[in-house]
Parts: sequence; C-alpha cells; structure tokens
Amino acid sequence: MNQQNKFHLRTETTKGRCTVYVSGEFDLEVAGQMRAAMAPLIELTDRELALNLRDLKYIDSTGIGILVSMLKARHANNAAFIVEAIPPSIRKLFDMTGITPFLTRQA
Amino acid sequence: MKAIEEVVTLQVPATAEYVDLVRVTLYGIAAKMGFSYEAIEDMKVAVSEACNNAVLYAYEQGSSAAPEEQSVEIKFVKKFDSLSIIVKDNGRSVDAVSEAPQTSPLHGKKIDEIHSGGLGLYLMQALMDQVEVLSNAGTQVTLTKRLVRSEELA
Repeated sequence: MNQQNKFHLRTETTKGRCTVYVSGEFDLEVAGQMRAAMAPLIELTDRELALNLRDLKYIDSTGIGILVSMLKARHANNAAFIVEAIPPSIRKLFDMTGITPFLTRQA
Repeated sequence: MKAIEEVVTLQVPATAEYVDLVRVTLYGIAAKMGFSYEAIEDMKVAVSEACNNAVLYAYEQGSSAAPEEQSVEIKFVKKFDSLSIIVKDNGRSVDAVSEAPQTSPLHGKKIDEIHSGGLGLYLMQALMDQVEVLSNAGTQVTLTKRLVRSEELA
C-alpha cells in the first residue's frame, strides 16, 4: 500500500486548542487506534478540539461513526469540537450521511 | 456490442487489514474500464462497507466456520456498460442487512438523537446504482455501477 494512503495522526496542542491532523485512509482497520488516541483528548474540556482533515484520503462508515461519537461526547461535556479542511470527496460523504450540519456548528 | 462478461475473483481473510487490498484491486479494474474518478471513489466506499459487514458480523462467536474458512470472496463482474462487485461470505446470515434505511440515520436529527447504525448500508444504496442483498448460508451483496464513459458526457 502506498505511503499516502497509510493512516497517520499528528497532534498539536496549544493553550486553548488541540488540533489533530488525520491523514491517509480512516477505515475499520484503524478504528481502534483512532478511538484510543482520541479518548484522552475528548476529556480536555478546557480547550477546543479540532480535527484537520486536509490530508485525509478516505473515510468509511466506521470513521464517520467515530466522528459521531466524538461529537456526542464533546457536546455532552459542553466542549467545542471542530472539523476543518474537509476535502471535497470526504465532504460529499459527510453531506450524504447528514453529518455536515453537526460538524460546522459549534458545541 | 456483445454481452461478454469477464470476471476477476479475489479471496481474502475476513479481517479489517485486507479491506484496503480490495479497494486497490477495485481501483485497478474500474480505472481500466474507464470509470471516472468520482465513480471509483463511490465504489471504493460501497465495496468497503460490504466487506466491513462481512468482517464485523459474518464470523462472530457461534459461527461454525473454521478459522481458515473465514474468508470473504469478492467477484468483479465486468460487462460492457457496468461493473458489478459481488461480496460473499460463508458466515452466518444477517437478516438486518436486507432492510436498507431509505434515509441516513443522521438526517434531520438533534445531536443527542444521532447514531451511526445502518450508515454502511445507507451509503451502499446512495453510492451505487443497484444493491442486492441475499442472505442464505452466508451473505451475498451485489453492488452495480453503470459505466458512463467520459466521451458520452461531452
């Protein structure tokens, strides 16, 4: 599999914000890795949590399902969750499934 | 135009780490047939969803299939004007799969009401021209996309 498609996470933390850069293919195979990496970040309610999808090549219903559970967890904690730099092919799936309005609205 | 059918078959273990191999194979076949980038992206998601279901549900506890029999067979059926992808497992039949939600489970809901169950099947329906699910000694999903050649769009 080429390197571009390999799932990769990089986290940047500043005082008020935690940005996670998600790249490659976000699918069933990496669901466990993603959930484990996000769990502690979801709990950081004193700063906003952002997912940057600029280099995301692919997402499936497992990935979208994880976004849904992150949305719900942040909403329950009254903490901001932002999804930014959504590529057009990914945006199409977000629109199709109806998750887009939740991603563009602040908690 | 003759009704010639060409079939490429791929058999992989029913584990998540092989689904990307199915996508790469699909990409090769569909690109060679002349499908657009967008159509290939649609098919990649739909086929992965069918494979995910097989990986997640076909061989759950209680399945009588031995580990070496826990595989997914993907058949790419090339026709002149369409590509059908048949995803078949020999695990237990999942009845729930035959009822496709007509709308996404996320549309028009409040944040505390949303859930992602049924999303995979919804996406298959939304992304392909035809989806057929057969449950009988395992599950067989047939996904069909019509080929619109780029010169026909001009």
